[in-house]
Amino acid sequence: MTSPAAIAGLLAMLIATVTVGIFARRFARTTSDFLVAARAVRPAANAAAISGEYLSAASFLGIAGLVMKYGFDVLWYPVDYAAGYLVLLIFIAGPLRRFGAYTIPDFAEGRFASPRLRRLAVGLVIVIGLFYTLPQMKAAGITVASAVGIPYGAGVLLMAGVVITIVMAGGMRGVTIVQAMQFTVKLFAITAPSFVLLIHFGSPTGIFARLHANPIPRLSQPLVAKVSPGDEWQVVQPLHVRLDHPSRVRLASLGPDSASAEAGTPAQPTGGGREVTLAPSATLPPGQVQWQQPTRVEIPAGSAVPYGVGTPPSSNAAWLHPFGPLAGASGQPLLFTYSLIVAILCGTLGLPHILVRFYTNPDARQARRTALFVLLLVGFFYLWPPLYGALGRLYMPGLYTTGLTDAVVLLLPRQIGPSWIGDTLAGITSAGAFAAFAATLSGLLISLAGALGHDIYGRWLRPEAGGAERNLAFRIGALTAGVAAAFLGLMVERFDINVLVGWAFAIAASSFFPMLVLGIWWRGLTTAGAALGTASGGVAATLAIATTMVATASPTLAGFLDRHPALAVILAQPTIVTLPLAIAVMVGVSLAWPRPPAGVASTMLQMHLPERLGLRREYIREP
Amino acid sequence: MEERPENLEGQPQRPYPIADLRELEEQTQVGEIFLAALLRRQLSLSLRVALTLLAMLGLQPLLAWLIPAYASTTVLSIPLPWLVLGLGSYPALIALGAYYVRNAERVDDEFSDLMHR
Repeated sequence: MTSPAAIAGLLAMLIATVTVGIFARRFARTTSDFLVAARAVRPAANAAAISGEYLSAASFLGIAGLVMKYGFDVLWYPVDYAAGYLVLLIFIAGPLRRFGAYTIPDFAEGRFASPRLRRLAVGLVIVIGLFYTLPQMKAAGITVASAVGIPYGAGVLLMAGVVITIVMAGGMRGVTIVQAMQFTVKLFAITAPSFVLLIHFGSPTGIFARLHANPIPRLSQPLVAKVSPGDEWQVVQPLHVRLDHPSRVRLASLGPDSASAEAGTPAQPTGGGREVTLAPSATLPPGQVQWQQPTRVEIPAGSAVPYGVGTPPSSNAAWLHPFGPLAGASGQPLLFTYSLIVAILCGTLGLPHILVRFYTNPDARQARRTALFVLLLVGFFYLWPPLYGALGRLYMPGLYTTGLTDAVVLLLPRQIGPSWIGDTLAGITSAGAFAAFAATLSGLLISLAGALGHDIYGRWLRPEAGGAERNLAFRIGALTAGVAAAFLGLMVERFDINVLVGWAFAIAASSFFPMLVLGIWWRGLTTAGAALGTASGGVAATLAIATTMVATASPTLAGFLDRHPALAVILAQPTIVTLPLAIAVMVGVSLAWPRPPAGVASTMLQMHLPERLGLRREYIREP
Repeated sequence: MEERPENLEGQPQRPYPIADLRELEEQTQVGEIFLAALLRRQLSLSLRVALTLLAMLGLQPLLAWLIPAYASTTVLSIPLPWLVLGLGSYPALIALGAYYVRNAERVDDEFSDLMHR
């Protein structure tokens, strides 16, 4: 699996990142340098840096992987990631910049005159931030694993170490430059190989014509898979295989209730599971195959691809149509689609690492223009990942067997011959993947370090701490958050990157979104209303997602949810319920006890008056 | 697109402790009337754009659900929903964003002119 070109790509990005990061360290002097780059970052660089931070591994690797797996429905992810930025632009970019605070907790405290609300916001920043770091860690793991051939866990730890070092060394000034550079790398790394792929595999018309022509995905070349005991395949057509030695397998027919079969219940009569020993040349019947021994399996080209656990088999027709294997399988396709749309649209502006960037604009006008520029940059980027997904379904369906669909952007270019071209392109996409998770991860670490160092330490534990001590606290905060994220990242190898990202969006959309939008536009929102609404939305969304995670390990709960698809959809994708809940609580409480927080009139003025009128105060003053 | 407005070169321009503004900040009665007017205009602009966005995205699942012909139409082998969502969305989003930025700046400017008069 080792690819010298991919290693070279990773190393080049690593060296570039570290060099620029260290160079930038000279400029990092005071706390404010660290946190908002002294508000002097140029808009072009700022828009590129924001895009660089926003285009995470979920965008660079995850969308292609999920499109490959589920087809059309996944297009909602990139479109909504971009549309979420429009929501941010129209509701908060200008006013929030005028308000002049660094972070969401700053806003919470300043608008509602409440240190306690600030503490709630800090807690949520940490929860959302950690949820969002998990998929980045997964991306780091699979990128390094596919390039170097080391285990997933080692890849996670290695890359976490690199990013923690960069953040601790450079702070945000370093990161602004690094992230602007990384955006350029990401854009190049997704588009340049796309052009070569189009030249090699033909136009989109041809690609889609081939998808229409084949009823199901078939291997375009022989597949060699190494299976371990416990690995499960779903075979859709009789499958001829060659094994390196006779191997024991358990065969079961795919019942109508495939969930109980997946849960591994040994109930023989229903599934008809039986153990057989396969000869080195054997034919697997349609149904479920559970391997009992480590075996090297060869499948000839042209076979209908077997699917690993976690990849539902689907026909190309279903894959091409709306409400296919993703939304359709939920049992409530419309509800699923709408809840997904709402979560991503509203979640974007609640992501802690995105907002902090807006304070680096000189004024509201520039903040809006920067946001528009970001929309342009990310919109152009998002045109390309689905192409990798469609090509992956045609030319690398073996990834359905191994479950590595999230790696399709890294592996697909190697299909192009002659091999030096394919390897070079794979090196380029590997460098892009590194840029993707390194940029987002460092942005998240800064937010988390800010919450830990700036808030928890600098405000509650030692308010008397001086500048040097605060800087140290910030660095220790970065280290703590990074190590915690790395260890959590070790546990998420089996989850789809975008599913993990979706959870972070759902929590942000149900808590920070209503607090920010109502707080900015409705002066009647009281402290109690904001606190109760934010807490109820955030807690409800977190509990719903936790229930979904528990269900992956509990057959009883999974069975119950199978019988109640609407409930299952709402728990997995809770925003469509929890966001209205949060808004209702905020409005209800504020109207029932109309006690406006101190100074709300001047806060509203400050957020909405154009800067030309000269009313300008920074919420946090330089020491 | 990245030129700086001429009056914002680094330093905040000379602050205006003008009477109007002090009035705005201190005499809450008058201030609130002005602020409410500004807020209403900006918010109605934001809501207009938001509703357009919701309609643009939200009608697509309904269309595919109610009219199967929409989902099965292909253009040059590419299914129409792929083109509309995966290709057409981005220019539309950028156009909406540009419309918003232009109008938000106009509202701000008109309000500033009013205050300075």
